[in-house]
Amino acid sequence: MRFAILLLVILAAACVVASFITQGQSYAWYASAYSERKAALIVALGLDDAFHSWWFIALTAFLCGNLIFCNLIRLKPLLERTRAEGDIGAALAGPADVTAEAVADPLPVFNRLRLPQLQEREIESKKVLFAGKNRLGLWGPWVCHLGILLLILGFALGQMTHREWTVYGVKGDTKAVGDSGFFLTIDDFQVKLRPDDTVEQYVADVSLFRAPQGSTAVPDSQSATVSVNHPARLYGMKVYQNSTGYAARISVEEAGTPLQTAVVCAGEGIEIADAPGLVVYLNAFYPDFYLQPGVGPATLSGVMRNPAYLYSIYYQERMVGMNYWQPAEGPITVNDYAISFSEPQSYTLLQVKQDRFEELALAGGLIVMLGLLLAFYLQPVKVWAVADEAGGWTLYGRSRKGGALFKEAFSQAVDRDSKGEAK
Amino acid sequence: MIQVENVLFYGVLLLYFGAMILYFVFVAAKKEGVGKLAQGVQLLGLVLHTGAIVLRGIASGRLPMTNQYEFATAFAWGLCLVSLIFIRRFRFPLLGAFAAPVIFLIIGYAAMQSKEIHELMPALQSNWLGFHVSTAIIAYGAFGVSFVLGIIFLMRDRMKESGFLDQHIPSREKLDMLSYRSVSLGLLFLTLTILTGAIWAERAWGSYWSWDPKETWSLVTWLVYAIYLHLRIRKGWQGKAAAVFAVAGFVCVIFTYIGVNTLLPGVHSYK
Ligand code: HEM
Repeated sequence: MRFAILLLVILAAACVVASFITQGQSYAWYASAYSERKAALIVALGLDDAFHSWWFIALTAFLCGNLIFCNLIRLKPLLERTRAEGDIGAALAGPADVTAEAVADPLPVFNRLRLPQLQEREIESKKVLFAGKNRLGLWGPWVCHLGILLLILGFALGQMTHREWTVYGVKGDTKAVGDSGFFLTIDDFQVKLRPDDTVEQYVADVSLFRAPQGSTAVPDSQSATVSVNHPARLYGMKVYQNSTGYAARISVEEAGTPLQTAVVCAGEGIEIADAPGLVVYLNAFYPDFYLQPGVGPATLSGVMRNPAYLYSIYYQERMVGMNYWQPAEGPITVNDYAISFSEPQSYTLLQVKQDRFEELALAGGLIVMLGLLLAFYLQPVKVWAVADEAGGWTLYGRSRKGGALFKEAFSQAVDRDSKGEAK
Repeated sequence: MIQVENVLFYGVLLLYFGAMILYFVFVAAKKEGVGKLAQGVQLLGLVLHTGAIVLRGIASGRLPMTNQYEFATAFAWGLCLVSLIFIRRFRFPLLGAFAAPVIFLIIGYAAMQSKEIHELMPALQSNWLGFHVSTAIIAYGAFGVSFVLGIIFLMRDRMKESGFLDQHIPSREKLDMLSYRSVSLGLLFLTLTILTGAIWAERAWGSYWSWDPKETWSLVTWLVYAIYLHLRIRKGWQGKAAAVFAVAGFVCVIFTYIGVNTLLPGVHSYK
């Protein structure tokens, strides 16, 4: 077990070190945050992604190996000890933690120690009483270690096999869920506000369906409502309402006739069809716009009181203009084109995930809990009484884990019993 | 209602301060009666404290444990509760003299936080978050007690022999058992805290464990107490070494609670 303790110490130390280093950055980032030399060290040791580094995985693997080994070699002794724990002969042959001599009546002592189920036997022509409890508690550490193994296994398998995609869009959009072979339709998306304009919930109605294969038949689909903290399971995948942002319609007119229009999310743009290389981007949207002096644009709330759009225009990948725009200003003119924004709305960013081993990890966690409960709150106790020649009894108690507290409880149970009676 | 809560809070602060002073007098003057009085004052403080937390819960319409103030005051409440249970159950009033300053420090920290009630952002509206923080409070309270017991254990050998202290400080063996009792209570609840937190994170963010610094530090705390348990069952390491780990464990608890929010970045930092 010395090795196990050492492993736990090293793992804890590794976690501490890693927690002080921002994870997942580039060499350049570390070089500017620390120094070139330190950055080189961080990257060489894998401290930039410590929890997925070979040495962290190796440590965890050693821990698992150790746990498997421990649990295997302890299985037989544990079975034997569990049997022995309830055996009178084994109790008599073994040591006791506490004894009390010349006890007139042992029964109240057993009762006070909550050991009502007595066994009675005659051994070497002496009467012996025996009671034990909480034998199952012996299994606590074993069960706990098993749980840790399952937890680590579930987590590791999940890390290796889980698949995850993000889909974003506005109400009415249908998009492919990455390479999963599924499509997702956003049937509705609402941002629910409280009377004080703070956000109460983001709610998306979504449908998932398999990519149609050649046929024109309407494919089967499964639908659900998802909101923050309330994911839904569709076709074995979980859909989460993960994030949100603003979207709006960009419209382009040429000489009074509509040329092009599309709804885009903030950060996206459209290339004007007639003018290759000319792209209009919606950078941001402010429903309740105000320009904070010295700081920049901000929104006072999520309510559409004073909508403003931040846009930029690129030509051949070079920015040619960037500004705020409010509907009252009239269209923005670029060459012969009149550009305007309308229909501001929220888009939703959904996460779609498949992790088949989540339940295994959860089961591991619950088994750890069970093991801890057994180890801490079912401490094996046994008490036996042997009749002496004077007509009294000698009482013995044993609780390996009860320590001083068991001895105290035992003495108290005996003392209270002998009060008023001759010892 | 919030005004009443506020008044109660400062009343509780005073009572905890009073209990601390009384415990000190109990030790200095070696008067049993004062020790009893200190426990009474601590109990009264706990009752009013419970009232204050319930009132805040009613006023905000949710479990009042979602910002730094609410969690700090609940933390003090948990430590007060668990320490009082240990004091009464194991007839150990001297424990109060060591626990009361820690309780007072934590509630003092709470007093310095903003007491405003904010509406919860959607990610924080979850029953799992409720289980997560309530189990954390019991875990932290129990670890606070084992910290205090560890300190008493380490100081015990340095104290001068005196009838009073001998009578009031349990044997090394019993102190070690009490510490084991509080650590095991704490670890059980810390495990529950981590599990419910993971379930909540999975529902709110789609990932049950993402090595965010707060998660990492709760794992460190968990490992430190696991090391404590394994040391205790090794011959020769019981007692002193275990007591050192019990103290170190609580330092991790405090760092997880305050240090991570202020020193390290992560998803928990908006709290
Ligand atoms: C994260 C890792 C671990 C945790 C959380 C853990 C937890 C525990 C707990 C709760 C106990 C019971 C202690 C008590 O009741 O006082 C225990 C006992 C024990 N553990 Fe672990 N353990 C871990 C790793 C290991 C490893 C890797 C080994 C490998 C050898 C190991 C070997 C033992 C042994 C031999 C006992 C004593 C059982 C007894 O006295 O009946 N543990 N452990």
